[in-house]
Amino acid sequence: MDNTGKSVAFRGGGFAPQSRRWVGVLVFVALILFVEWGTRAGWISSLSLPRPSDVLDTFRQLYDSGLLFKHLLPSLSRLFVGALIGASIGIAVGIMIGLFSYVRSGLVPLVAAIFPIPKIALLPLFVIWFGIGEGSKYALIAFGTFTPTVVATYGAVDNVDRTLIRMGQSFGLSWWSIVRKIVLPGAMPGILSGLRISLAIAIILLVAAEMLGAEYGIGAYILEAGSLYDLERLFAGVLILSLLGVLISALIGTLERRLLGWRT
Amino acid sequence: MTHLNRRRALALMGGTVAAAGLAAPAYAQNKTIKVGALRFTSHSASFIALERGYFAEAGLNVEFEFFQAATPMAVAIASGDVDYAVTAVSGGLINLAEKGAIKVIGGALSEEDGIDGQKYLASDAAFQAGVTSCAALDGKRYAVTQAGSSFHYMGSKMAQAEGIDLSFVPLQKVGAIIGAMKSGQVDGWSIVPHIAKPLAGSGALHIIGNVADYLPDYQVTTVFTSAKNAADERGQTESFLNGFSKGADDYAAAMIDGTADQDAMVDLIHKYVYTDRERAKAAPSIINGTMRINKGAALNLASIQDQLDWFQSEGLVDAGISIDQLVDTSYVEMIGA
Amino acid sequence: MDIRLEGISHSYDTFEVMRDISLEIPSGQIVCIVGPSGCGKSTLLRFIGGLEQPKRGRVLQLGEPPKGCLNPLTYIFQDFALLPWRSVSGNISLVLEDHGIKGAAARTIIEDVLARTKLTDFAKALPKQLSGGMKQRVAIARALAVNPAVMLMDEPLSALDSQTRELLMDDLVELWIRQPFTAVYVTHNLAEAVRLGHKVVVLSRRPGQIREVVDIDKPLAEREFGDADLDRAQKHLWQLMRDEARAADAELLNG
Repeated sequence: MDNTGKSVAFRGGGFAPQSRRWVGVLVFVALILFVEWGTRAGWISSLSLPRPSDVLDTFRQLYDSGLLFKHLLPSLSRLFVGALIGASIGIAVGIMIGLFSYVRSGLVPLVAAIFPIPKIALLPLFVIWFGIGEGSKYALIAFGTFTPTVVATYGAVDNVDRTLIRMGQSFGLSWWSIVRKIVLPGAMPGILSGLRISLAIAIILLVAAEMLGAEYGIGAYILEAGSLYDLERLFAGVLILSLLGVLISALIGTLERRLLGWRT
Repeated sequence: MTHLNRRRALALMGGTVAAAGLAAPAYAQNKTIKVGALRFTSHSASFIALERGYFAEAGLNVEFEFFQAATPMAVAIASGDVDYAVTAVSGGLINLAEKGAIKVIGGALSEEDGIDGQKYLASDAAFQAGVTSCAALDGKRYAVTQAGSSFHYMGSKMAQAEGIDLSFVPLQKVGAIIGAMKSGQVDGWSIVPHIAKPLAGSGALHIIGNVADYLPDYQVTTVFTSAKNAADERGQTESFLNGFSKGADDYAAAMIDGTADQDAMVDLIHKYVYTDRERAKAAPSIINGTMRINKGAALNLASIQDQLDWFQSEGLVDAGISIDQLVDTSYVEMIGA
Repeated sequence: MDIRLEGISHSYDTFEVMRDISLEIPSGQIVCIVGPSGCGKSTLLRFIGGLEQPKRGRVLQLGEPPKGCLNPLTYIFQDFALLPWRSVSGNISLVLEDHGIKGAAARTIIEDVLARTKLTDFAKALPKQLSGGMKQRVAIARALAVNPAVMLMDEPLSALDSQTRELLMDDLVELWIRQPFTAVYVTHNLAEAVRLGHKVVVLSRRPGQIREVVDIDKPLAEREFGDADLDRAQKHLWQLMRDEARAADAELLNG
């Protein structure tokens, strides 16, 4: 036997990206430093981008003056109430679509018809229906979160393991017990990942909701900064929305770890 | 590529037109410039100058770029996509001036005694509840497009004069405001006469005051350009103002002074404004919308100063901005100073 | 309580799957049903438990279920059907909750069935932490908790590897010896059938009909791995089934 044979070349690597947390931070920091340098050196004009340190300073002023919370609190309550209404009705309707043939046949086309409507286009209508105050803002955000939640929920209900439902029936569990103890927890992973999307949409719609008749609010603040062409404020506002998005995503992540620890 | 070719072709055509009108004082030679405009009667001076060849006489080949709102037009000037435009002084305009992007070089629409100007309006619901004068708007909801818009300025100055409080409701667009006024969601507003009068005529809204009573000689709109044009393209800028002024003169002669044919002027303006309506329906709106466009594009500096002061007092623009950063006074006559 | 099947026939549209099946399931015995794939074994089991309805014929319960029986006809599924979000004891309490058994009463039952299936130490574990064999023992414990009159077992060991299968068969035999239960046991594995069945029902290929009912008289306690009597019975069953299985296989291929 020849013992000098060449070793088999390894060809199994790659295609398994892993998360390297600090790289993401590094990209952010590098980008911000780059813009800071560009705006200071002058080859990025103050018209094109604000200086990051100025944005930070604007943010600090916003905080110091107490205006931050004056804008943030109404926005958070709009986001909370709107998303709560939209998501809970969405989950309820999604489950009904997942369970009843008539509801499914009746509502799936309707939801498909509503989904692609840019909800902003309906804002004037909501103002007539729900008034220029908080009502129309809640309605817009609720409506925007409703459709993706419905679609995610009934998809999730469809994906609940049928053998578990059959098991429930075979043990003589009541209909309500099966829904509560088998369908709902079984659909929870799909519902939560749907919530991730619908809550991001809620943040997007917050700006739209505050277009009409909002004196305070992050969206109103951003719109005002835009019309004043005040880039520092514009970016400070956008920064708040981004942070809000990261926060909500982390919140759902925690919720997933809590509720979905049973997943393999 | 096609764009470039089109521009070149137009420049050539402009050349022949300019050659035909050699009698005009030629500050600029057949240059193609872009002028931003809204389809409002207040922009008529530019339309007239193009239609009657005043721009061509001044050696300019003008192309219009139409916008839906004033703010994007100001941004387009700052980015260099548009050379000249006419719009109200807004917070956005002042902030762009602060960044060294634009300059106000002349005046356009003004409130003037004896000419029906902008109106304060009350919604029907508010009117029935007793809001029959501006003073009665105390504590009511007052519609504006955005914070720092001219509507905000007009409302705020009126409130200041009456010693009342208003809560300003931003509604982004004039259409949205009209809807909110009709349904009684907001109580007060101000707008140009050609929109105010038909609304009041239909009974949906009620006129409760004149803007001119609170803001006499209010410089409603201004002519502005990029800071670069104002500083480096003096000949071209003067040519533009020259053509624009002749347009303004024709407009005043036909629409205000009655020394020229009003019908012909309405026909001309109708080519640009209310094009979706037939002439018979468009004409009353065009005539109702008549306001003074300053002779020689003169600028009421006192009014501009007052507006700048107000924006600063409201914290909408930086307190450090001086009127020199906003206005280049070297082009036209300054009045009211 | 006995179960009697009377002239069960079934078809999906024009596709006949089962023809005239009549069968007695006497109390205290394990009846195995074997047959080639697609003969309708599992469907038959679903008819017995009332999860599906046959086109013709009926399933009768003879006599009353014993006292304290919460769910007379109780299934054990091939894929265990455990709720992954509930612990072992939570999965068992699931089937008690609807009968109003909670708190101490439930705890007593759960402790008892876990002890009988040797799962006492795993009461708090989640299904994802358990091996396949353990999961099926949880499912058996859950079935025992409702004190069934008849257990309906649908290929309960098919998802397990062969060693685990042997161990679980031992466990089932032990359970039966301690307290004989009635069961219908569907399987395609003849070794399981001869090891656990008092009666083995051989179904033909589609449309499923009873080919033969083979009685295995040797007491469960005396049956062992590699038993010569059982081998003989298994061989006999295989001879009955071979042609059916081959034909069924070809049928599937021809589609």
